[in-house]
Amino acid sequence: MELRHILFRSRLLLVGLSILGVLILIALLQPVLNRLLIGDINPVSMGTYKAYEEVSPQHPLGTDRWGRDWLALLILGLRYSLIIGALAGVAATFIAVILGFVAGYKGGRTDAAMRTFTDMVLVIPSWPILVTMASYIKGLSIPLMALLLALFSWAFGMRTIRSQVLSLRAQPYVDLAKVSNLKDREIIFQELIPNLLPYIGVAFAATTVGAILAETGLELIGLGPGGNIITLGLMVNFALRWGALALGKVELVFAPVLMLILIFVSMNLINIGLEEVFNPRLKRVTGG
Amino acid sequence: MKNYPVLTYVLKRIGLYIFTIWGAFTIAFVFFHSVPGDPISAYVATMEAQYSYKIPDADVVIAEYKKMMGLDGTLLQQYFRYLENVLLKFNLGPSFLSFPTPAEKYIFEALPWTVGLLGIATLISWTLGFTIGGIMGWRRDSPIAAGITNLALIFSQIPAYFMGLALLFIFAYGLLWFPRRGAFDPGIAKAFNWDFISSVIQHGALPALSLVLVSAFGWLISTRAIVVSILGEDYLVYAKAKGLTGGAILRHYVLRNAMLPQVTGLALSLGFVLNGAYLIETLFQYPGMGTLFLSSLAMLDYNTTQGIMLMSIALVLTATLLLDLLMPLVDPRVAREGKG
Amino acid sequence: MANEEPLLRIRDVRVHYTSVRGVYKVVDGVGFDVMRDEVLGIAGESGCGKSTLVEGLLRLIVPPGKIASGEAVSSDLTAGITNNCDLLSLSDEEYRQLRWKSISYIPQGSMHSLNPVMKIEDQIIDAMLTHETMPKQAAKTRVAELLGIVGLSPAVAGLYPHELSGGMKQRAIIAAAIALKPKLVIADEPTTALDVTIQKLVLQTLMRVKREIGCTIMVVSHDMPVHAQIADRLVIMYAGRVMEVGPVVGIFDDPLHPYSQGLIATIPSIAQERRRLAGIPGASPSPLAWPAGCRFHPRCKQAMAICQDVEPAVVEVRPGRYVACHLFGVLRGMS
Repeated sequence: MELRHILFRSRLLLVGLSILGVLILIALLQPVLNRLLIGDINPVSMGTYKAYEEVSPQHPLGTDRWGRDWLALLILGLRYSLIIGALAGVAATFIAVILGFVAGYKGGRTDAAMRTFTDMVLVIPSWPILVTMASYIKGLSIPLMALLLALFSWAFGMRTIRSQVLSLRAQPYVDLAKVSNLKDREIIFQELIPNLLPYIGVAFAATTVGAILAETGLELIGLGPGGNIITLGLMVNFALRWGALALGKVELVFAPVLMLILIFVSMNLINIGLEEVFNPRLKRVTGG
Repeated sequence: MKNYPVLTYVLKRIGLYIFTIWGAFTIAFVFFHSVPGDPISAYVATMEAQYSYKIPDADVVIAEYKKMMGLDGTLLQQYFRYLENVLLKFNLGPSFLSFPTPAEKYIFEALPWTVGLLGIATLISWTLGFTIGGIMGWRRDSPIAAGITNLALIFSQIPAYFMGLALLFIFAYGLLWFPRRGAFDPGIAKAFNWDFISSVIQHGALPALSLVLVSAFGWLISTRAIVVSILGEDYLVYAKAKGLTGGAILRHYVLRNAMLPQVTGLALSLGFVLNGAYLIETLFQYPGMGTLFLSSLAMLDYNTTQGIMLMSIALVLTATLLLDLLMPLVDPRVAREGKG
Repeated sequence: MANEEPLLRIRDVRVHYTSVRGVYKVVDGVGFDVMRDEVLGIAGESGCGKSTLVEGLLRLIVPPGKIASGEAVSSDLTAGITNNCDLLSLSDEEYRQLRWKSISYIPQGSMHSLNPVMKIEDQIIDAMLTHETMPKQAAKTRVAELLGIVGLSPAVAGLYPHELSGGMKQRAIIAAAIALKPKLVIADEPTTALDVTIQKLVLQTLMRVKREIGCTIMVVSHDMPVHAQIADRLVIMYAGRVMEVGPVVGIFDDPLHPYSQGLIATIPSIAQERRRLAGIPGASPSPLAWPAGCRFHPRCKQAMAICQDVEPAVVEVRPGRYVACHLFGVLRGMS
C-alpha cells in the first residue's frame, strides 16, 4: 500500500499523526525554543528565578520550587520523554520482530509455545516487576532504561508480526521459492521482509505506546534516569511531592499531565487508525 | 474422559495454572538472586552509610541473619527452600522492617483493599462498558451514539492515574466532597456498622471512579466494534426473519455473542488493570498492595517487596483462571468438540 | 376443494441497490401469482435476482438496497394483523407480527443462520413464543414433534449448532420454519453446499413437511434438477425479469422461451448429478446496465430485429403458460 493511501484511509490516523507531529516538532526545536524563552540558561539549573512565581508573560507556566521556568522544563521534558519512549519502542520492536518471525515462520509447536509465553508476559503485571528492577539497578541511564521498558513492551507488537508472517508464509511464492532451492535465509530477506515492512511499522506504533506507558509508570513514582534528565513523568512526580495541589499551583501538575495525555491520545489514535487500515475486517471505529 | 469434555478442559486449565505459577515464581527467584550481593549485606551497608557507623563483627551478624532468613546455603538449596516456603506454606519470611513480624501479615492486610478496589471497579467498568457499548453498536446510526463514541474514544486513552489526578483535584481539593487519601477515616474503628462502611465507600469512591471512568469507556469502544461486526452475520438476518423483537435480538443474538471475546479480553487485560490500580493506590495513598510495595521498596524491605511481586502475579493468574473456568458457560463452543 | 384464488399476487416488484457506480437494478419489474398448496420453483442463473426477489418479499432488504416499487398482495397472509394487504407497504412492526406465523424462511447458507450460542430448541422456541403465547413445556413438546417430522432425533433439541452436521442443521432450520404452521414457506437455495445424498434427503424432508402442515413453498434454486424433483410450477427469471411461468412438467417437456430451452438443455437427464449450467453462450449482463429491448437478446440464437429495441411483455400464450418473448408475439400476430 502506498503511503498516501495509508494516510488518507483513516481519519483517526490522520488526527493522531498530526498531533504527534506537532509534539515531535516542539521536541526537536527545544534548543531554539529554550533560547527564546529564557536565553542561554540551562532550564534545569536551580535558582535561576524566584521560586513559585505566578503565571505571567515571562513565565507562562510560572516557576517551580527551585526557581526554574516550568514551560522551558516542560519542553525539555517532552523531548526526553519522547526520546526514551522512541528508544524503548525501537528495542521492543526489534524483539517483537525476531520473536514474531520465529513463531510465524516455524509454526507448529514453536509457535504454540511462543504464543503461550507471550500471553504469560502480557498477563503478568509489569509495573511491580519494572519498579523492582529499576530500583535495583544503580545508575539508570537512558539506554538502560529503554532496554528495561522494552523487556515488557514487545508483547504488544509480537502478535502483529506473527500473524503477518504466518499469512505471508502461506503465500504461493514462498513455496515457489522453496522449490527453486532458495535457502531459508534468502527467502526471508528477499521475499518476506519487504512485505513485512509496513507491519513492522504497525508493531512499532503498538510497542511504543506500551513503552511510554511503562516509562510514565516508573517516573510517576520518581524512578527514572538520574542526574539532570527531566521527563514529563518526573515533573508530575516532583510537583506532587512539593504539594503543588495543596498550594494551588495546579499548572505545575497539569501542564506535564496534559502533555502526556496528548502523547497517549495521539499514539492511540495512530494505533487504532493503523488497525483500521491494515485490518479491514474491523469496521471503522466511529461512524459505523 | 472423552465423555466429559468440560471436565477435561477444567483439569487442563488448572494444570496450566499450577505450571504457570511455578514458572513465574521460579523466574522471579532467578531474577532476585541474579542481583549481586544479598539483601542483608545491602541493608547493613545502607545502615552503615546512613548512620556513619561501622558495625563490629558485621560478618557474624550478617551470617546469623542470613541463616534466620533462609538465605544461606547454595542457590539450589535456597531454591527448594523458597519453593517449599512460598508455595506450600505461604511463608514469605519475616519483614525486614518490622522484624520479626512475618511479611505475609502485612501483605494479607493490604490484599483486601486492593482486591476490593480492583474487583468492584473492574466489575462496574466491564458491565457498564459492555452494555452501553452494545447499545452504541446496535444503534450506531443515531448521532447521540456517534457523540458518545467519540467521547469514549478520548477518555479511554487517558491513563487512569491522570484521571485520578483530575478527580482528586476537582473533588477532593476543590469541592471538598471526598477525602483525599486513605481507605477510611482513621478515627473510626473497624466494625460492621454503617459509620465504618460509609467511610469506606466515601474513601473508595474517587480511586474507584478513576479506574471506572477510563476502563468503562475502553470496554465501550471494543464492545461496540465487536457488535458492529456481529451485525453482518447470517444469524442476525435469520433472527429478524423470525420476527423477533429488537430487544430480544439485541439481548440473545447480539450481546450473547459479543460476550465471549469480551470475557477473553477481560482476562487478558487483568495484568494491565492491576498496574493501573497500583498507581492509583499510590496517588490516593490507599492502603492496598501498591502503597505497601512502594514503602517496603523504599525501606529495602526485601521480603515484603518480593512477596508483593509474587502475590501480584498470583492474583492475576488466579483471576484469569477463574474467568477461563467461566468460559464454557459463556460460550458452548469452548471445550465441547463439534462435528462442524 | 382447493381454493383457486392465488395466495399471493406479486406485481411489478423492483429492488434497486444504489452505489457510487450507479443503480443496480437487481430486480426490475417482476410479477407472478403464487397459488395455494403448491410448490413454486424460482429458477435462473446466479445474479438473475431470484434471491433478492424473495428477500424483498420477506422485507429483509437493507440499505443501500431498497424496494423501489411494486406490490405483493395477499389477504390471507395479512389476515389478523392488518387490513392493508400489500406486504411491501406494511409498516416494519406490522410485518414483524406476521413473520413466522404467516411467512417463514429457510435462508441460503443455513449453516451460518443458527445462533452459535443458543441450543437448537431455544432458537425454535423463541420464534414460537414471540408470536403465540403457550407454556414453555408445550413449546418444548412441539419442538420434539417438529424434529420428528424432519427426521431428527429429539435429542437434537438440546444440542448446539456446532454439534450438528450440515444436513442436520438444514433440517433443523426446516423444522423451525414450520413451527407455527405458516401458509407460505420461502426456501432459498436449500440444497446448495450439501452433498448429493443429503440434498435428496432435504428435498424429501421439504415434501414431507408440506404434506404435514399443508402450506405453499417457494423454492429458489439455480439447480434445475431440484425443481424437477419437487416443484409443481416454475418461474424462470433472467436479468431481473420473468421470462417464463408454467407447470414444471410442461416447461421441462416443452420449454417455450429460448432461455428456458437453454436451461433445460443443460440437463440431459433428471437423474444425473448436479452440475453448473454450462450450455448458454455469452456472459451474464450487469444489473448496472441491462441490455436494451429483450434482456436475453445478446445471447439468444433466435433473436430477431425487434428483440433489440422492444422488451417483450409477459403474455399467457396457453392456459397457465406465460412467456415474455417476441417469438410468441409474432406467432400471435400471425394467427
